[in-house]
Amino acid sequence: MKKNIGLRNTIIFLILMAAFLSGGVLCFAKDINFEVTVDRAVVSVGETLQLNLTFEGTQDIPSLGLPAIEGFQARYLGPSTRMSVINGKVSTSITHIYTLLTTKIGTFTIGSFNFAYNGDAYVSNSVSVQVVTAQAQPDERQPQAQQELQAKDLSDRIFVVLEAGKRKIYLNETVPLKIKLYINSLGIKDIQYPLISHEGIALDETEQPRQYREAINGIDYDVIEFRTHVFGLRPGEFKLGPASIACQLIVKKEGGGRPPPGLDDLFNSHIFEDFFGGYQTYPLNPQSVEIPVTVLPLPQQDKPQDFNGAVGNFDMEAGVSPGEVKVGDPVTLKVVIKGEGNFNTVTMPKISADNNFKVYQPQVKQEAGGKVFEQIIMSTSTAVKEIPAISFSFFDVKAGVYRTLTKGPFALKVLKPEKEEESKIIEAVGPGASGPAIQEKLGRDIVYIKDSIGKINRKGEFLYENIYFLLFQIFPLLLFLLFFGLHTRTQKLKTDVRYARLLKAPGKAREGIRKARGYLTQGKTKEFYDTVFQTLQEYLGDKFHLPSRSITISVIDDTLKEKSLPENVLTALREIFSDCDMARFSVSERNLQDMEGTLKGLEETIDYFQRNKLS
Amino acid sequence: MKKHRMTRTALVLMVLFFGICFASGYFSSAQADEFSGPRQLFIEGNIAYKENNYAEAAAKYEKILRDGYVNANLYYNLANSYFKKGQLGEALLNYERAKLFMPSDSDVKSNEEYVRSLLQLSGPQTSGNWFDRSVDRLFAGFNVDRLSILVSVFYIVILAVFALGLVFAGLRKYSRPLAVILVVFLILSFTGLQRKIGYIRHGAIVIIREAEVKFEPLETATLYFRLSEGNSVDVLEKTRGWYKIKRPDGKIGWIRDSALEMISG
Repeated sequence: MKKNIGLRNTIIFLILMAAFLSGGVLCFAKDINFEVTVDRAVVSVGETLQLNLTFEGTQDIPSLGLPAIEGFQARYLGPSTRMSVINGKVSTSITHIYTLLTTKIGTFTIGSFNFAYNGDAYVSNSVSVQVVTAQAQPDERQPQAQQELQAKDLSDRIFVVLEAGKRKIYLNETVPLKIKLYINSLGIKDIQYPLISHEGIALDETEQPRQYREAINGIDYDVIEFRTHVFGLRPGEFKLGPASIACQLIVKKEGGGRPPPGLDDLFNSHIFEDFFGGYQTYPLNPQSVEIPVTVLPLPQQDKPQDFNGAVGNFDMEAGVSPGEVKVGDPVTLKVVIKGEGNFNTVTMPKISADNNFKVYQPQVKQEAGGKVFEQIIMSTSTAVKEIPAISFSFFDVKAGVYRTLTKGPFALKVLKPEKEEESKIIEAVGPGASGPAIQEKLGRDIVYIKDSIGKINRKGEFLYENIYFLLFQIFPLLLFLLFFGLHTRTQKLKTDVRYARLLKAPGKAREGIRKARGYLTQGKTKEFYDTVFQTLQEYLGDKFHLPSRSITISVIDDTLKEKSLPENVLTALREIFSDCDMARFSVSERNLQDMEGTLKGLEETIDYFQRNKLS
Repeated sequence: MKKHRMTRTALVLMVLFFGICFASGYFSSAQADEFSGPRQLFIEGNIAYKENNYAEAAAKYEKILRDGYVNANLYYNLANSYFKKGQLGEALLNYERAKLFMPSDSDVKSNEEYVRSLLQLSGPQTSGNWFDRSVDRLFAGFNVDRLSILVSVFYIVILAVFALGLVFAGLRKYSRPLAVILVVFLILSFTGLQRKIGYIRHGAIVIIREAEVKFEPLETATLYFRLSEGNSVDVLEKTRGWYKIKRPDGKIGWIRDSALEMISG
C-alpha cells in the first residue's frame, strides 16, 4: 500500500516538473488570460497604488513597457509567479507588478492594454481609479499645525523655482542665482544638488543649502534653497534652466498593497511592513521652468587701456615689503583686490618695469571676499628710489562706467651690496706706480647656460639600477668562494692524512682493478691474485685508516664486524682473501672462471663500500 | 679529476664575466646614435635662451626630459630658464637634479646658492641624525654613479685582501686590520649611497610660493604648518592628489601634489 502511495507521488511530481519545465507554453498557450487589477479604487493624490498585470495560464511573458498613463507615474517593481494544482489540474500565472504614483485628482481609466508576444496578441480589461484630494492625516513626521494644501496636482505640492538676481546682465557680471525646492506636506529624502542647464552662462559652485519655511497664498511650504552665482560668457540671448532636483518621495503603503500570494508574499508580509514602518520611496525629479537671460556686451566707449575684463565693484590695497633692500635682494609687492564681482577676471595690475627691475610671475591666492597677488621684484641698481604706481581698471555695473584704481608709487631704498659681495678689480700696476685701485661695483646674477650637453643618459639609468653592474658584483664573490673552497681542500689534503687516504682510496682501487684485469687477460694468475690482494689491502687500509700491510682476514673480521656489515659482504671479502691466499701460496691451479669471479667480487665489494660511504 | 672540474668552472665564470662586460660596451656604443635628437633640441633650447625666449627654451629642454633623456647640463640650463621666468622653486629643483650628476660643479653651486638667497632659504636642508649628515658631507662631492663604483671597489678589495691572507700566511697580520678598515669604509660609502638613492627616490621640492601642510589629506583638514617655495621634503606616501611628506625636522603632514615636484621627476 505504502509502495503504491510512493509511486503515485513520484508520478505526480514528474507531471508537475514536466508542466513546470515546459512553462505552460506548449499546453496552455492558447488559453492565456490577460487581466489588469489595482489594489485600490480610490486613492489620495501624492500617494501610490499597486497595478497588477496578470497573465493566467503561462509564466513565460516578459514585463511590458507600459505606455504613459494619464494622472500617474509608473514604476516597475518586478514579476511574481504562481502555480497551483487543484483536483489534478495544473494552473500557472505570472503577475507583473507596478507602483503608480498619483499626480492629479480626478477619475482615470487604466487600460485596456494591448500586448503582443511570440506572435500572439493579448488584450486586457480596464480598471477605473478615483484620485481624490489628499486628506489631512496626523503624521508624527509632519508638524500638526502645518496647513494642508488642497492640491489637485502633485506638482502643486512639490516644485522647483529658479530665481536670477537680474535677467539682463553685462558680460562677466556675476549675479546671484537661487534654486528653491518647495515642499508641502510630503515626506522627501535624499535631496540632491540641483542640475541646471546653462548654455553661454558660467555657474559658480553651489553653496550649502539653507532650509526655511515660506508661505505662498496662505499655504506653508518647506523650502530648500540652493545659492550660486552665474555670469555671461559671451553676449547674446540665452536660456537659464530648467533646474531639476532629484529626490525620493516617501509614500506610506496602504493595506492590500501586496502582490498575489506566492513566495514574494513572505517578504511583503505585515511583519516586515510593521518593522520598516510600512513606507516606500519613489524617485522624483521636479523641474523648474527656464528663464531667459540677456548678456550685454561691455561698452567700448571710455574703456581704459589696462582693462582686463574685471566687472563688479572693487577696491584695491597695495604695499611693498621690505622698504629697504640691497641690490639683488627680492622685494614683495602685495596687492589685495576686494569687493563684489567676478574675481575670475581680476588679474594682477601690470608694473611698468624698466631696466633697473626684474619682475617675476606673481603668486595668486583667492581668499574670502578678495584676491591676493604677491609679486617678487628685484632691483638691479641703487638708482632705484621707488616702485612705479600700479593701476587696476574695472567696469562698475551699477553706475555703468569704467573706473580705474591707482596705488603708488612705492618708496624703496636700495643699498649697495655687502663688501664681500663686491668685486675689486685692481689694475696691474707697474713698478713704482702707486695709483689708486679702481673699485667696480658689480651686481649678482646666475652663471650663464652651458653650450654643450655632454654625455646623455637614459632616464633612470643610474649604475645602481644597471643589471650589468649588479651582475658584476656577483662574480668577485663567486670567484672568492671558489678560491676559498679550493684552498680549504688543498689545506685539508696536506694536513689530514686520514682524509687524504680516504679521498685517494677509490682512485687507487680503480687503478688496481684495471691492472688486475690486464693480468687476467694475459692469463698471469700469480700477478693477478697479487694485484687483487694488494688492491683490497690498500683499499681497506685507506678506507679504515689502518696499516695496509697488516690487513688479513682476521683483521677484517675484527674491524668490520663493529661496522655492522651485512654478512654477505663479509663472506665475499673472506672469499677474495681466501682465493688470493690459495692462489699465491698453494699449488692448486686457478682457472679463468675463478679469476673472473674473484675480480667481480672485488669490484662489487669496493662498489658497495663506495656507495654506502663506509669508513 | 675534481681539480680539473673546478678549474673549468672558474674559466667558464671568467668567460661569462668578460662576455657580459663586452656586451654592455657593445650596446652602449650601439646606442650612441639615438642621442642625436636630444642634442638638436638642446641646441635649439640654447638658441631660444640666448634670444631671451626663456619659456620656449624651457619647453625645449623639458621635451628632452619627456623623451626619457637626462643630463647634468640639461638640468642646469633648464634651471636657468626657470630662474629667468621667475619660477625660483622650479629653478632650485632643477639645480638639485643637476647636482645629482655633477655635485662639484661650481656653476651649479653658485646658481643654487643665489636662488636659495632669493628664496631666503638657509642652505640645503638634510634629514637624518648626525651620522647621516656626516656621511652626506663626506660624500658630497660624489655623484651616485661614482659612489656606486666606490662601494663596488671597496667590496672587491676586501675580498682580495681576504684571499691574499689565505694564501700568504705572513700577510695575515697586515690583512686583518686592513680588512677591518676597508669594511668601515665600505659601510660608510654604502650608507652614503643609500642616502643618495633615498634622496633620488623620495626627495621633493616645494614649487609654489606658499604651501599648506595639513593633518589629513583633505581640503577641510586642519592646517599643520606651511612650507615656502624651495623647501625640501621627503615624500613618504602618495595618494589621490596628496603627498604625505616629512620635513627635515621630522614633522609629518599632507600636502597637495601640485605644490611639490619630486627630484626623480
